[in-house]
Amino acid sequence: MDSPQQSPDIEQVEQLVDIQELFNRSFIFSGAPGGVTKLFAYLAKRETYTKGEVILEEGKPCDRCFIITSGEVDIYQHYNDRRFHLQLLTTGSLNYFGELALLSEFKWFFSARAWTDVTLLSISREAFIKVMERYPESYQNTVKKIINLRINRFVDQSEYLMANIAPDAWREDPPEL
Amino acid sequence: MTKKAANSVRITERSLFYWILRRHRSSQLFLLLIIVVSLFFKVYPLEMQKRIINEAINLKDLELLYLYCGLYIGAVVIAGLLKYVTNVLQVYMGQKILVEMREELYSHVLQLPLQFYRKMQPGTVISAMTAELNAIGFFLGGAIAIPITSVLTFAVFLAFMINLNPLLAMLSMVIYPFELVVIPYLQNKYNKLNKERVRTTRKMANVVNESISGIQEIHGNTSYELEEKKLLIFVDKLYKLMKKLFLVKYGIKFANNFFQSLGPFILFLVGGYMAINGQFTLGALVAFLSAYEKVYDPWKELIEYYQSYQDAHIRYAQIMKIFDLDPPHLMLPPPEREAYSFEGNIRLQNVSYIVGEGVRLLEDINLEIKKNEQIALVGFSGSGKSTLALLIAQLYDSSQGTITIDGHDIEDLCKRDIGSNVAMIAQQPFIFTGTIADNLLYGVQAVTDASATVSRKQIHAVVRAVGLEDDVIRFGLQAILTPDQCAPCREKFLRMRQIVQTSLRDEFAQAIEFYDVDNYLRYSTIRDNIVFGDSMEQEFAVSRLPDHHQFMDLLVREKLEKPLITLGFAIAKQTVDLLADFQDDEFFFRDNPMEMKEFTSYSELLDRLKGPQPKDAGERKLLLILALRYIPEKHSIVSLPSALEKKILSARHSFLKTIVMVDIEQCKTTGSGASIVPIFSEVGSFIPFCPSEYLYTRSLRENILFGAVKSEQILVEHLRELASKAFADEQLLDEILAIGLGFEVGSKGDRLSGGQKQKLAIARAFLKDAPILIMDEATASLDNTSQARIQELLETDFRGNKTVIAVIHRLDLTPAYDRIVVLKAGRITEQGTYDELMDKKGDFYGLATAES
Repeated sequence: MDSPQQSPDIEQVEQLVDIQELFNRSFIFSGAPGGVTKLFAYLAKRETYTKGEVILEEGKPCDRCFIITSGEVDIYQHYNDRRFHLQLLTTGSLNYFGELALLSEFKWFFSARAWTDVTLLSISREAFIKVMERYPESYQNTVKKIINLRINRFVDQSEYLMANIAPDAWREDPPEL
Repeated sequence: MTKKAANSVRITERSLFYWILRRHRSSQLFLLLIIVVSLFFKVYPLEMQKRIINEAINLKDLELLYLYCGLYIGAVVIAGLLKYVTNVLQVYMGQKILVEMREELYSHVLQLPLQFYRKMQPGTVISAMTAELNAIGFFLGGAIAIPITSVLTFAVFLAFMINLNPLLAMLSMVIYPFELVVIPYLQNKYNKLNKERVRTTRKMANVVNESISGIQEIHGNTSYELEEKKLLIFVDKLYKLMKKLFLVKYGIKFANNFFQSLGPFILFLVGGYMAINGQFTLGALVAFLSAYEKVYDPWKELIEYYQSYQDAHIRYAQIMKIFDLDPPHLMLPPPEREAYSFEGNIRLQNVSYIVGEGVRLLEDINLEIKKNEQIALVGFSGSGKSTLALLIAQLYDSSQGTITIDGHDIEDLCKRDIGSNVAMIAQQPFIFTGTIADNLLYGVQAVTDASATVSRKQIHAVVRAVGLEDDVIRFGLQAILTPDQCAPCREKFLRMRQIVQTSLRDEFAQAIEFYDVDNYLRYSTIRDNIVFGDSMEQEFAVSRLPDHHQFMDLLVREKLEKPLITLGFAIAKQTVDLLADFQDDEFFFRDNPMEMKEFTSYSELLDRLKGPQPKDAGERKLLLILALRYIPEKHSIVSLPSALEKKILSARHSFLKTIVMVDIEQCKTTGSGASIVPIFSEVGSFIPFCPSEYLYTRSLRENILFGAVKSEQILVEHLRELASKAFADEQLLDEILAIGLGFEVGSKGDRLSGGQKQKLAIARAFLKDAPILIMDEATASLDNTSQARIQELLETDFRGNKTVIAVIHRLDLTPAYDRIVVLKAGRITEQGTYDELMDKKGDFYGLATAES
């Protein structure tokens, strides 16, 4: 079936290959078997948002994880009725958000909006679980990576907050008795 | 109901013959006349037989033979025709009587008190009302005609035989007395078994009925074997009964046949002897034998009649036994007065309600409720609060004490008095098969004779008030309207489309890719992109396009056929490669032009193919279908070569111009205006995706949005409200609401959610606008917002114009009520306002603190 004359036009399959390559480069799926990334490429949904549009809102149930293919995304959180900016994500190394949604059901604890016009790929938890059921050997590895990603983000956000923190939040060592 | 005169015998006390003797007397008389006339034509051929042999054959007179034979056949034909008429008349009368019986019985059954239904299994009632009554119907028609015909025929033939030869006649009658003993004996046995059969069948029906109603529980408990065993007991019993039953049944048949053949035996023996000795002519013997055979027919009919009478009698008696109860109240007020209109003063004095062996569910209740007072009935479960509400609604009847409404004892009130003054909402209301509107009007139509007393405005107001509006509008939007249904509002719907297309265009463009005759639609199928419309008779459905000559010629002309088949091939190949391990999971096919069930056939197709352009027409068709279903933005399995977009656009224009004759320039003009398809009302015409056209093959929602949905989420979360507001501003929502009210709710309303059903029931009661409203935990299954909305309504709209009695479980709703009545173990323990009771620190305080 794979004889060369059977291959359809290159142009027609390009889309899937592009997404697959993007996934291969992304931290979550890199190293996963080709079948897995191709399936995710197939199941991913393209979403576009215009500048300023809300992508997800704090308190709403989460159901998918996002990868930025173009544009910038502002991650923020409300605290005491004020909007706190936490991160500005781009297509660089931190080009994803909502990765925990793949693992568990919860309500978004942050919000995201399009800082510029944005194109995203999203993968639903349902799709993630369906694929992982067939590739249990990849599952553990992927979970590990998602946790590591979370740590990366946590470090990034903490550093950002510490850099912008009010002076009175800074403390010396506890007084010696 | 209205037919029932006061002096008539109660339905369950009537005998079977009551129905027969009092109905259709003139038809029955006519039938009798025909029977008497037909007797003559039955005997006449026998006389001809004798004459043919004794006179025509004996004298060798051909003319006489022809004459007699002619008369013979004439009489036979007339007798046959008369028999046909009697049969038809019998069945006709039987069915007419059955209709009346069923109507009156059903009316009686519906009026029986609720207590009756607590004990009665639905299976029993259903089988009694349907199958068992049917069996009686067959008996009814012939109930009078058959015995009379049989006896008369018997007598006439006997007289004929005696006339021929008295001795032989007497001899052939000898066997009948034996039959008179044996047959009834066997029949008696049969009856007993049959009674048992009816009973067992009913029990079996109940078991099946129960397990079907409780199928969820059975699956949940995997109690299949348990249920099978339950049924098996009755199946087994029925099997044994049927064996015995048929043993007796065929015993009867055997006895009959035996006696029947005994007659000719005697006749041949004695008659033959006499004929040989010249005491009897041959013609007379032949006629005698014929007469003997004929005389047996009415006899047999009489026996069969006897059997079916016994059968019908048993069935009838059993049915009537089930329903042998008097309805506790009259249905309609006496002729001298109309139904009362009450103000809503209710008074209970020493009321007790006792069930079974003296179990007192309510004990010595004294309560006075003034008109327009709002009362909350609270208490632990089992305290009797719902029972109290049901007593006031006359659904139960108190065992002791009196309940009065505006001074009238509820005992003496007819159902219509209650029906017009009390609106009741049950905790688990029943929704009937039919539309939402049917269900809404149910209560109103039950107490008024004219159905058009409720205006559309009132209905809409109630639907809004109970918070059902959004749901009804959604149903309305889902409706696919026929041209006739659409006609009155067509302009309004197109106006809604226009609003979305113009003033809300920017917002909606985020979620909708609007139809535009000059743009490629990336969220629509290639089929929609080329055909750009629908035919009313599905002429251009995807599955039919590959066989559509004009369409295929167009593809070839536009140099699209090969690229589309190549595209189809690419889709098939990619899908089969990617999803080989997932072909059993629907999920992976959600965004694929290929359906899960087609996977195997496409997989086999690819195995056969050597390249993307097969020669075989069937194979090309399969690949083309995939391509026609392909939606670029949804189906990521392949991408659309950009060159194809242009070709498809050009094919669209060519298709519209040459095949369906649509003026493309006209299709570009936005806004309403006359339809550009001149014959759009004609079924079978083509409707293009042009702004001036209502698309009769699509839902109302699709018509308003007029494009393919890019993001359902944005649409639902952000745009629905926006559109609702814009439509409401121009009073366009009412039209959608009206269409939504025509939504079919399914059997028992199972196409509605629990909350929707509850809201519908509340709306149904509110629409009745009765002075007394009884709510039996009516809002318990609603979400907090909906519950609050109903509560708000009680406090505003109903304040000062309705007596409200609400059985309430959630105590946080009680502060709004004028008075709270607390029940405990069937007695009222305390009553007062919320603050009074909380200060008192009694039972209510206990309940309230336990809850929090």
